[in-house]
Amino acid sequence: MIEVAQYLVVVLVTIGVVMVTVLLHVAYLTYFERKILGWMQDRMGPMEVGYHGLLQPIADGLKLFFKEDIVPAQANKIIFTLAPILVLVPALIGFAVIPFGRDPIHIFGLTFRPYVTDINIGILYVLAFASIGAYGVLLGGWASNNKYSLLGGLRSAAQVISYELSLGLAIVGVLLMAGSLSLVKITEAQGGGLLHWFIIPQLVAFVIYLISAIAETNRLPFDLPEAESELVAGFFTEYSGMRFAFFFLAEYANMILVSCIATILFLGGWHAPFEALSFIPPVLWFVGKVYLFLFFYIWIRGTLPRLRYDQLMMFGWKVMIPLALANILVTSAVLYFVKG
Amino acid sequence: MARLKDWFRQIFFWEILVGMAATLRHLFVRSVTIQYPHEKRALPNGYRGFIALLRYDDGTEKCVGCDLCEAACPSRVITVVSAEMEGQPLKRYAKEYTMDMTRCVFCGLCVEACPVNALGMTKEYEYATYDKRKLKLDKEQLLAIGDRAFPVREKRVEYQHPHAAFFNVAHRGYPAK
Repeated sequence: MIEVAQYLVVVLVTIGVVMVTVLLHVAYLTYFERKILGWMQDRMGPMEVGYHGLLQPIADGLKLFFKEDIVPAQANKIIFTLAPILVLVPALIGFAVIPFGRDPIHIFGLTFRPYVTDINIGILYVLAFASIGAYGVLLGGWASNNKYSLLGGLRSAAQVISYELSLGLAIVGVLLMAGSLSLVKITEAQGGGLLHWFIIPQLVAFVIYLISAIAETNRLPFDLPEAESELVAGFFTEYSGMRFAFFFLAEYANMILVSCIATILFLGGWHAPFEALSFIPPVLWFVGKVYLFLFFYIWIRGTLPRLRYDQLMMFGWKVMIPLALANILVTSAVLYFVKG
Repeated sequence: MARLKDWFRQIFFWEILVGMAATLRHLFVRSVTIQYPHEKRALPNGYRGFIALLRYDDGTEKCVGCDLCEAACPSRVITVVSAEMEGQPLKRYAKEYTMDMTRCVFCGLCVEACPVNALGMTKEYEYATYDKRKLKLDKEQLLAIGDRAFPVREKRVEYQHPHAAFFNVAHRGYPAK
């Protein structure tokens, strides 16, 4: 009985800490994005709320919370309500298997591990939930009873399906080298410094993963589902208030999630690049690497215009997937002949 | 060879990398934003803001009620009602002087037209209000603007006061101090 209670406390506290941390990072990611985009365009970004606009995410959250919640008259109400949840939950649930650090923490005789759970199909679990998010986008676009929303939803479905293929195939090379699907084991397989990180043998897979991850999270230059110059706001045109905020949170949570996965798969997770630098806590290494990727996404957004739809599809099917398949072939052949 | 170079550039996303270098460079460029309510632009000396009625050094109004500004005004902003001074039949003044600033185009023609330099253009531009009737200024308000914008009443004020704006036509061509 005591063991069950202890287990429950540990699990619930870990989940709570992970959720709160992730949501805080999501909120401040919007701030960093606006700041960095502003600087890149010789502007300042948010400056008014708090010191240099530091309280802007909180003000935005409050504003969205108190906005009127509008459901269009002709919309399918059940699916319209369901869609934002269907987008947000998979985006947050993926964080359950992310190992944020190395050492468990002992407080009050309880052991808190730096991840919620370590399942042996971790990466598959994340990919599966990422695909459920596409349903939310598609259903939200359909249920709004708006042509722009429907077009946005359709585009999103087509895009996510084509880029998820290359995303999954890019990961296979790493899985072959690590010999496991568990994210904890993949991280541990990359110990021992910079040269053991999978980015070096799997550089092609890394580039494919980065590009597909941008498409997967519907970000520029692949933000066709919400292309505001063509489709108003795409699949969430009709959404307002908290429902809109759910889509917004999901987009940024997905950004953080794919950055976490990229960090674990290619940049050695919480491992320090050199033995001399391992006095910095592993959690900080992990967060630093994740923010490196997040900065890269914002940087790309500040640089590139949106692709045309046929360019997007052509690039996905004719370039990325063949490259990813070739990468798997070469990796498995090398592993078979070299490591036996 | 050139084709090979192009091919390599294409597969390594050369153009995108060049673009990303440009955006990264601009990350460290000082922003051009002026945080308006907190910091304000330095206005040039020829700035044409609110129009003010001016006074002589002894505090009497310069305006003689000649109506030339009303005649010069292209958008009929100014209304002057002229009157004689009590007991001084040769002296006239503006009994009423109203400016409807909602119509003003800030062309400065009234200032140019004034024969006694009774009008001046200030650097005031923050006159947004919730009630547009407040922008119909009478003589007292215009004189108050003049007192505010040109606190030093000396001759050739435009050469002496740092806030002196485009002032009037009569002093044009005077050498700089």
